Amino acid sequence: MQIEQIRLKNFRAFRDVQMKDIPRFCVLVGANGSGKSSLFSVFAFLRDAMASNVTVALARLGGSRGIQEVRSRGARGPIEIELKIRTDLGNKGSKLITYELHIDDEGGRPVVVREILRYRRGSSGKPWRFLDFSRGVGEAVTNELDSVDDESKLTREPQTLKSPDILAIKGLAQFERFPAVVALGNLIENWHLSDFHISRARPEVEAGFADHLSREGENLSLVVEYLHRQHPALFAQILDRLTHRVPGVTSVEAKTTEEGRVLLKFSDGSFEDPFLARFVSDGTIKMLAYLVLLYDPQPHPLLCVEEPENQLYPSLLWDLAEEFRSYALHGGQVFVSTHSPDFLNAVHLDEVFWLAKTEGYTRIHRAADDPQLNAYMEAGDRMGYLWKEGFFAGADPQ
Amino acid sequence: MRHLVFLLEGPSEKEALEAWVPTLLPPSVQSHFIVFEGKQDMERRMALKLRHWMQPDSRFIVLRDQDSADCTDVKAALLARCTESGRAADCIVRIACHELESFFLGDWQAVAQAFSLPRLADLDRKAIYRDPDRIALPEAELRRHVPGYQKRGGARRIAPLMDLERNRSRSFVKLREAITRQAQP
Repeated sequence: MQIEQIRLKNFRAFRDVQMKDIPRFCVLVGANGSGKSSLFSVFAFLRDAMASNVTVALARLGGSRGIQEVRSRGARGPIEIELKIRTDLGNKGSKLITYELHIDDEGGRPVVVREILRYRRGSSGKPWRFLDFSRGVGEAVTNELDSVDDESKLTREPQTLKSPDILAIKGLAQFERFPAVVALGNLIENWHLSDFHISRARPEVEAGFADHLSREGENLSLVVEYLHRQHPALFAQILDRLTHRVPGVTSVEAKTTEEGRVLLKFSDGSFEDPFLARFVSDGTIKMLAYLVLLYDPQPHPLLCVEEPENQLYPSLLWDLAEEFRSYALHGGQVFVSTHSPDFLNAVHLDEVFWLAKTEGYTRIHRAADDPQLNAYMEAGDRMGYLWKEGFFAGADPQ
Repeated sequence: MRHLVFLLEGPSEKEALEAWVPTLLPPSVQSHFIVFEGKQDMERRMALKLRHWMQPDSRFIVLRDQDSADCTDVKAALLARCTESGRAADCIVRIACHELESFFLGDWQAVAQAFSLPRLADLDRKAIYRDPDRIALPEAELRRHVPGYQKRGGARRIAPLMDLERNRSRSFVKLREAITRQAQP
């Protein structure tokens, strides 16, 4: 599953932007406040909207002002979010799903003014409208698409949702039969944001269970314990990587104390007694955290990572970029925001997008669309150098 | 459209040129700045930047500090890089003698105004500042009069206030002339 396109209108700083040809490993560059985190908040918004409703999701994002705050300043008309997602259906090829959502306020309440799910088989042909709702009323296809070869044979049934701020993809249980809708739901529900904070990961935590690293990393020791027990081969691989990246570290162990807290212990080949996590360098913990995140036995369908470079030695960033790329190729799609030229030097031309804010609104540029960047990259240049030299127009703080 | 591309050794030079260029160039000329990470990085990477620059009708100005090196040597080395790139005919190399800050010492009125230190304006009349290019460590000199002076922030404050027609630094005048010349159709 891969997001190929994102189109946003009137969503926060995105007055009208479109990201096309998004790769599996996508790196976002931009000054502070240019909208990198806002882009990730689109996914958070969709998850909240799906888990409850649009009103709740807007309140979570915009506080008490809700839609007034989330809608671009000075803009009128509905907030529009459109995702084009390619789902891999194994030997049946792939399908392109377009999900379009328009939200506006009517009579002081947020309303889904339009929700459409289109579906295209293969890479050509006309898309079939699968679901089309407005203000809680609409129609949806009821027969299995795979058995149908002509749009006229689709049977559509009118439906009414409980409320005009509920998403039809959530409200209609019948969609569970359709793999494409399940895939879309899975992406929205299980995307993950990693914004790792050393200070949160260091302290010992209450014993418990965690199989995924949390957003800020406070459950690191629990995940280490889980991997150590349930996935020893994978854990050995993580350790092997870690020992190559951090001089001295030979092993890592999670221990539960008598008081029921879980400690992380790091062994250094030169000393007999292991060190507790609180005495280990920030970089060591951070590297371990990323390895734990990236060697996840059940990868997230979409992983968004905020500025992974902090606390890490510059030469490690090249390796880290490669780890992210292999996660993207074998597991889920990865979006990384970065301010590090060293990280960017390991990134390919078609993996880079940069955000530039002009007159209060964000524009998104695809590096591969720029002929000058193409020419330099072909001549053996690197994205990090080009960025620092000023070739990402508008990316630098003004 | 004519494109004028500046190859610079650091961000302070860009700050300064961004302030000067709009008053020196007609609107028909678009300026670009390629900012390197110091002299070594500039020498290593500039030939590739020149050779693969794509905009048609482009001219280049390479600006570097002389620092403590010999001015002629520095210029020759940079010209060699231009030749290596195959674009020497479109390039002019200019050396700041001894540093970017020499240009600021050529206009104490601007320095005085930038830091709200009116007494500095009188320094223009002092003999040693009539030829600021002869001062070997201009940044240190500036710091002597403006305590806490910093390179990039200083350039950002002083450059927009400078009178480009009346600067006493000869290397500045040479740079200004080069900019005007490279802008000509």
